[in-house]
Amino acid sequence: MTASALESVEGFRDKWPFAARYARVNGWRMHYVDEGAGDPLLLLHGNPTWGYLYRDVIPPLVSAGYRVIVPDMIGFGLSEKPAREQAHTLDGHIANLTGLVRQLDLQRLTVVCHDWGGPTGLGFAMSNPARVRALTVMSTWAWPTPPAEFHTRLFPWRMMHAPLVGPYLLGRHNVLARRGVYLSVVGRDKFRREAQAAYEGVLPDAETRLLTWVWPRWIPLDDTARAQARFAWLEAELAKSRLPTLIIWGREDEVFDAATFAERFKRLLPHAEGPHVVTGRHFLQEDSGPEIARLIAAFLDGQGGM
Amino acid sequence: MADVAIIARPVTESTRHALVLTEDRLGHYPEFRAFFVRTFDLDRVGLSDPGFVRAPSGVAYALVFVGRSGEPFPSGLEIYAIVDALEPLDDAVVDKDLWAILGWMIGGVGAPWTVEDLHATGRLYRIPAAG
Repeated sequence: MTASALESVEGFRDKWPFAARYARVNGWRMHYVDEGAGDPLLLLHGNPTWGYLYRDVIPPLVSAGYRVIVPDMIGFGLSEKPAREQAHTLDGHIANLTGLVRQLDLQRLTVVCHDWGGPTGLGFAMSNPARVRALTVMSTWAWPTPPAEFHTRLFPWRMMHAPLVGPYLLGRHNVLARRGVYLSVVGRDKFRREAQAAYEGVLPDAETRLLTWVWPRWIPLDDTARAQARFAWLEAELAKSRLPTLIIWGREDEVFDAATFAERFKRLLPHAEGPHVVTGRHFLQEDSGPEIARLIAAFLDGQGGM
Repeated sequence: MADVAIIARPVTESTRHALVLTEDRLGHYPEFRAFFVRTFDLDRVGLSDPGFVRAPSGVAYALVFVGRSGEPFPSGLEIYAIVDALEPLDDAVVDKDLWAILGWMIGGVGAPWTVEDLHATGRLYRIPAAG
């Protein structure tokens, strides 16, 4: 039903010509696209987007000779959307990715992470290092302290997902897909024209939007947070990792600002290339998709290509 | 929000309870759970009775508290509009009422949570009821 709703979005098929594929992973039905041939790249989105975020990144990477796999996180896009918040845990989402990668038997994998695709994708990479060739991080985090000062503020962040307020604003009114993404891109007119409907269309009803307020509640704000131990583990594992890593950040990113976050990744992974700064706020792929693809391809070429 | 009032159990003959909002994690910020425990005497009442409020439209709402093993009570909350049994909801009315109930809740939870911040958040995201 959601997929057919997307067909009515003007120009949707021109921008998203990729065949839908589905896998049963960790008990859930996961949608993904799988394009091209060569060493595989796994492009991971976050809240509240789906694979569509990478529509301008996929074709240049395929042309450059890579196999590009873009899953929709369980709870988003065209993947199954569990009805209960208890179905969503950080560990469970890492296991979802692990299930997909093992099912496709991906080796020499480059994991490209954005937003919640960071904690999940990096969690997968650190627990399956033998399958991973390289990492790319964009506007995300991987440590247990609050990701940004923004996330500690009552207005608007904590208020937005507070008890009952979250289900009202994010559930009934879909404010993250309807307004939040729009506010977090640079080219807003283009976004409204080309992308807004595709993000809203896959979250048509309040029940389908559950993860948009569950993920914010998983961001650790203090030592009692549910994900505290997992993030501490993730930071420690990354600090030991020698995987080739590329850091790309949005110049206009006001939430995960480059000076704080890209630099912290650089300290955590001093061997990383970058940060490369491109036009973009938090959803930098909306503004700089082809440039991001070019940076990733050049980085991988520098690592010995395919 | 003075426009939301706690009421006794309303007459429910010829009505139905229509589910309009669900919260699975009332204690995400524990002060929210504490507000409902305090307001509806839930340490004594437990699961025996819902709480009832009347919203600005005049519609009564039942607040049904949900318990989960291993978690402080209540762990969740379901809000039901008490409406004519066979009539459809007026969604615009429900939406304004829910916004008022949220304001009443935030005011009751108290500092550092403020109704002003709620309204500012609603305006930022262009919620019709926030004006």
